[in-house]
Amino acid sequence: MSQIVEQLKSVLGAENVVTKDMAKYLRGGEQPAAVVCPGTGEDVAAIVKAAAEAGVKVNVGGRVVETAGLAGGIAVVTQRMNQILEIDKDNLTCWVQPGMLHKDFCDSLLKEGLYFPPEPYAVGTSSVAGCFGVGDPDSKSFRYMPPRTYIIAYEMVLPTGETMKIGTKCIKCVSGLDLIHFISGTRATLGILTKILTKLLPAPVCKSAVVADLPNISAAAKAFLAIQKRRLFVVRENAITAKLGQNILSGAKGAVAFVDIEEFPKANVEYAKIVEAELKIAGATTTKIITDPKEYAATELGWLKAREAVNLNANKVRFTVGASNVVKGLDAAQGVVGPLNENEFTLIEAQLGKITVATANPDADAVKLNNAAMKLGGNVSGLLGSKLRCDEYSDTAMFDSITQLLHNIRKEFDPKGILAPGVKF
Amino acid sequence: MAVAQKTDQDTLVEALINIAGEQDVVTGRVAMYAYGYDATLLFGVPRAVVFPESTQEVVDIVNYCRATGVNIVPRGAGTNESGGTIPVDNCIIMNCCRMKKVLEVDLDNYVAIIEPGVVNYDIQEMLAKYGYYYPPDPASYKASTMGGNVGECSGGPKCFKYGVTRDYIYGMEFVTSDGKVRWVGGRDFCSEPFYDLTRIMCGSEGTLGYMTKFAIRIEPIPAAKRTMLAFYNEPVDAAQSVADIVAAGIVPTTLEMMDNLIINTAEDATGAGLPRDAGAMLIIEVDGPAYGDLDDQVKTITEVVKKAKPKQFKIATTAAEVDACWLARRVAIGSVAHRAPSYSMQDITVPRSKFPQAVAGIVQTSKDYDLDIGILAHAGDGNFHPLVLFDQRNKEQSERVHKAEAALVKMALDLGGTMSGEHGVGLLKKPLLPNEYEPVTMGAFRNIKRAFDPINRMNPTKIFDL
Repeated sequence: MSQIVEQLKSVLGAENVVTKDMAKYLRGGEQPAAVVCPGTGEDVAAIVKAAAEAGVKVNVGGRVVETAGLAGGIAVVTQRMNQILEIDKDNLTCWVQPGMLHKDFCDSLLKEGLYFPPEPYAVGTSSVAGCFGVGDPDSKSFRYMPPRTYIIAYEMVLPTGETMKIGTKCIKCVSGLDLIHFISGTRATLGILTKILTKLLPAPVCKSAVVADLPNISAAAKAFLAIQKRRLFVVRENAITAKLGQNILSGAKGAVAFVDIEEFPKANVEYAKIVEAELKIAGATTTKIITDPKEYAATELGWLKAREAVNLNANKVRFTVGASNVVKGLDAAQGVVGPLNENEFTLIEAQLGKITVATANPDADAVKLNNAAMKLGGNVSGLLGSKLRCDEYSDTAMFDSITQLLHNIRKEFDPKGILAPGVKF
Repeated sequence: MAVAQKTDQDTLVEALINIAGEQDVVTGRVAMYAYGYDATLLFGVPRAVVFPESTQEVVDIVNYCRATGVNIVPRGAGTNESGGTIPVDNCIIMNCCRMKKVLEVDLDNYVAIIEPGVVNYDIQEMLAKYGYYYPPDPASYKASTMGGNVGECSGGPKCFKYGVTRDYIYGMEFVTSDGKVRWVGGRDFCSEPFYDLTRIMCGSEGTLGYMTKFAIRIEPIPAAKRTMLAFYNEPVDAAQSVADIVAAGIVPTTLEMMDNLIINTAEDATGAGLPRDAGAMLIIEVDGPAYGDLDDQVKTITEVVKKAKPKQFKIATTAAEVDACWLARRVAIGSVAHRAPSYSMQDITVPRSKFPQAVAGIVQTSKDYDLDIGILAHAGDGNFHPLVLFDQRNKEQSERVHKAEAALVKMALDLGGTMSGEHGVGLLKKPLLPNEYEPVTMGAFRNIKRAFDPINRMNPTKIFDL
């Protein structure tokens, strides 16, 4: 092990190979042999090649690396690769390095009148590569589509140490298999992103938000359904119980609704009035239309902090029920985890029909919540949801065939199994 | 009395009839002719054409073909422009056209569950009754099936604002060459089983598996839209308007361009009164909420377009005028038949900023190879459809056409673009694919193919060789 550490010191410089006091770079209980901080794609290729030859596990992160399965391995922190390389306003694209903080990336682009809609998974630490590595459809996905839509080219170091390049500045490309968008959500199991070309949009002409304090989260869900029935499609319709909702609306007692509106000016004004009216009808005790850019930014940051707290909490279950079934989905959740207002958190992203509830028993409750969600046309999210859905139909063959396919893909790319060892199917 | 021995072909046909029924198996040479070609000039002959009507029939056919070493070529309406559905050696065509049920439409949750043989137009018609639609609408949408649309990841005029087919598929059921059925994704964005298997299936041209059901995202029809039509002296002027509209913060639904040649063939076909001396025509459409903002956008666009000194600029004020604006675009491809018996259509795509250079490149290619080339373009996407007009009976001219096709692809790649924005690779562009991708990337494509179809039974030899 010391041999590869010495080898990496010679490639990266000793100052970029950390073997003591690594804790600030790590999340999890296992201890890698070293944390390394590459500065270029070539550095990453050298690290992976050395690891592949030595049969050493590797995982990657922007600021923090998950250590599951990484005992004695190499944790790659891309924080030095944190620059915007090119902003192309004519083509609405941006080349960016993987380790740039997601929030900084969004803020830098907004200053240029450009917009990168996906939101940070964890606002304090998430990088741009993490955005695509996790691929989490955030609450603006209903309007702007999930993160995968915004990666249009990349360079990636494969588990062999080779560098793969794919994509162009064109927003349409069906040349070859679609490895461009497929990479989103692969969590560094197929390679390490070293350079990313993102698609951008013109910054919204007008942004506003409506926030409200409602007696409970079901009341917010009812208001959102009423808004949808009026065929008024805002950017997001979120509500979160008061404890985390404080980040968005200080002093809230029940559930905080947070509705974003990004239309042209006239529609923006009308939409905000309608949203506020529906929230009041649903029982909001406090409502506020936010149009001041600074206040909007502060409110949005509050939401991102709440989102971070939810995402980083392992004791939760996330499930979908369809936009029109959120009220029923909340009733079902209450039956499983108890009164929602007393829960650590309950979050709804209503347009996506997505509900996230805190629970002390995520494994057991996931089964119950999936059962309830399926009756409403939904399911628990992700691979767990696929398993539970198959279990519900007593179709283990289906789930086995899905996981077999996942294994096949991973093995084709990473036959030695060195990347992202904590990711299990 | 001698008893004739069964041939392999007899056994194959008998097996297919046992699975799908006699009415769903075609083996006559004349009848099969219709399934041997697509919208390219390529042609092939399958051993049989079978029309499964259920996922179980698909599984049974796949299992039989795997056991007997028969290849499977998927097909919908055969409108593709890549040769993706052309029969290969020792293959059957598995046609999805009789799996055409709309299984569920859930308007409140913005999702519909459909079979692959549903024609794009039919689902649009059904949804329109309720004020909803499915945004991707390729030019072939009146005939093309959803199976074909997903297989090719079809685009269309609305991509600039609304995206392409892959963006509207929440999940799907498919059968791989091992005969296994998988449902991946769900009825939302959050249900993929770790890897986004739905996305890699989209645009895979049937090389990874046979798709049997889709969950598609549907949306309410926008409350309002405005359609404008501009005629310019030169295509480069239209390109300038496109750039300026986007720079003004407007993302139009549609930015469709036609050059002088296509304007004239469309005018020949329709007599719609298009100015024959115009160098280019641009259709601009915006949509959104009905609160007056669209009128403001139209004002902005009007000012932007005037900067490029158009010959004419019209704002449609009635549905009939909107139809008139679209008429020329809708007939554009067919209208070239007035000029030449054959055409080759590419779908090269370049970064939007390279639009003028790409126009110049197409004009230069026309001169270099002494061929008439008309230009249709989804200008907002930088996606060109150069229509090379020729007579396929003229061998020398046909060879020049193939050289011109390669030159157009090279030009697009040199400008930082791609050889295919929305038609796929199939057989037609397969030889050129290594010009776009380095060996490492080609190897990654093969990794995916091996993971799904290690025995190379599903549409083999398409896109790349395993």
